[in-house]
Amino acid sequence: MKGKTLLIRLAVIAVILILSAILFFVGKSHTVLVDNKAVTVDGKEIAALKLVEVAVNKQASWELTPRDRDKFDVTGQKHTVTVAYTDEWWEEHTIVRTFTVPLMQDMVMILVPALVANPESDQSVWLENYEIPSYAVTMAESDEVVVTDDMAGLITDL
Amino acid sequence: MTLKATKGQRVLRFMANNTVPILFLIICAFGIPLSGYSANYLISEIIVRLVRNSFLIVSLLIPILAGMGLNFGMTLGAMAGQVGLIFISDWGIVGIPGMVLAMVISTPISMLLGWWCGKILNMAKGREMVTSYIIGFFMNGIYQLVVLYGMGPVIPIRNKALVLPRGYGIRNTVNLIGIRKALDNLIAVRIGTVPIPVATFVLIALLCLFVLWFKKTKLGQDMRAVGQDMEVARAAGIPVEHTRIVSIIISTVFAGYGMIIYLQNIGTLNTYNSHMQIGMFSVAALLVGGATVAKANIRNVFLGVILFHLMFIVSPMAGKNLIGQAQLGEYFRVFVSYGVITISLVLYEMRKKREQALAGLTLAAAQEVEA
Repeated sequence: MKGKTLLIRLAVIAVILILSAILFFVGKSHTVLVDNKAVTVDGKEIAALKLVEVAVNKQASWELTPRDRDKFDVTGQKHTVTVAYTDEWWEEHTIVRTFTVPLMQDMVMILVPALVANPESDQSVWLENYEIPSYAVTMAESDEVVVTDDMAGLITDL
Repeated sequence: MTLKATKGQRVLRFMANNTVPILFLIICAFGIPLSGYSANYLISEIIVRLVRNSFLIVSLLIPILAGMGLNFGMTLGAMAGQVGLIFISDWGIVGIPGMVLAMVISTPISMLLGWWCGKILNMAKGREMVTSYIIGFFMNGIYQLVVLYGMGPVIPIRNKALVLPRGYGIRNTVNLIGIRKALDNLIAVRIGTVPIPVATFVLIALLCLFVLWFKKTKLGQDMRAVGQDMEVARAAGIPVEHTRIVSIIISTVFAGYGMIIYLQNIGTLNTYNSHMQIGMFSVAALLVGGATVAKANIRNVFLGVILFHLMFIVSPMAGKNLIGQAQLGEYFRVFVSYGVITISLVLYEMRKKREQALAGLTLAAAQEVEA
């Protein structure tokens, strides 16, 4: 009986751990940046698109002009990007690709011109990990005062 | 033979048994017209407060059933819930999965703290409330040590926005934007202009059903027996100490979940203060609902939240309209929070003594008849 109880308890713990892992994968948020800027792929420069419409999953799409950058907040690892643009002969094209965001990567950037130029290529060609530049991380000028004592206000200099 | 009370005596007894709710009804009856708030506004505010606080207050019911009084140690569970929220904010887990993961993280911490608290309360039988209150302060020190100095150097925190500029310790406030109203907006229905967060109400209803079911289980009956008389329960073969510890563990775990629900509604975690405030306000709300140290039910929870928070909503504006200063209302509600706990405890003791005297009179009358 004791062995059975132990077994049940271990099974419950295992189920909880599996559930936690699933929640972690499903709920992990990522920021997907979409960037319409001239890029160099394999030594070849690809120009930015004059006007392109980009959407990630079923979110509302953004229209990007050259040097535009925008973002989509997503959860989970697998996503779909839809790029719609009109070429120089006024023909409309739509590219739909799925991509996977590395689990612990907070931000990735889709290089739209690279994706349009290489729609069948591996995601590594048009998707890159993105880290916020250190200068963009705003720090408080002085150290934040942490008040942990409710009675701190009673302490006065005599 | 029994002593029959007259109608007047029965009315007086009803009033004496419900002094605190009646007092609050009177305060609200004066405060509402003075505040000038519309009925729509008051209803929507009350619904927000019900959603935010009910789960936390229901978590207080089980220790009362076990005769351990009001569990001020619920702050331990609140701390565990906050630790869970800090972790999910750091990992960037959002929405319902984030909330559930925070609950999963808080559960073992709450269980451990509840077990430890229960052990100590078993050593302080008869003085559980004051002991749990002080345990809350003690554990707050440990919590601060872990969160202020441990998080960063010992417990890795990746998200720089969470860490103090000095490089370790969590900031005073943590933005819970990722889970803000995640549960409330899951199934949101609008009746007129009043939004009703159905999913949160369903969760609260499930907890209430659990408490009702739990009271009927073997463990629930054991708790009731322990609450009525520990020696009799022990003689009946009930493991008194174990039962008391289990009641505190259940309460602490639910308090952790309640804190997560509370903070998802607010959307900001006040790292070093939220948990300490919540214990006092939850206890006060339950007492306002007519509960006592020895007896509380689900009706007391909802009545308490409505009356206590109605007073919280109307008092600043009533104070402003009455004497031109909203600050008066602020002082008033803090004064009332502490005052109501004091009044309830005093009234409980008075009632206990009166009942003992009444029992003595009944016994004397019965003996006279026999003689």
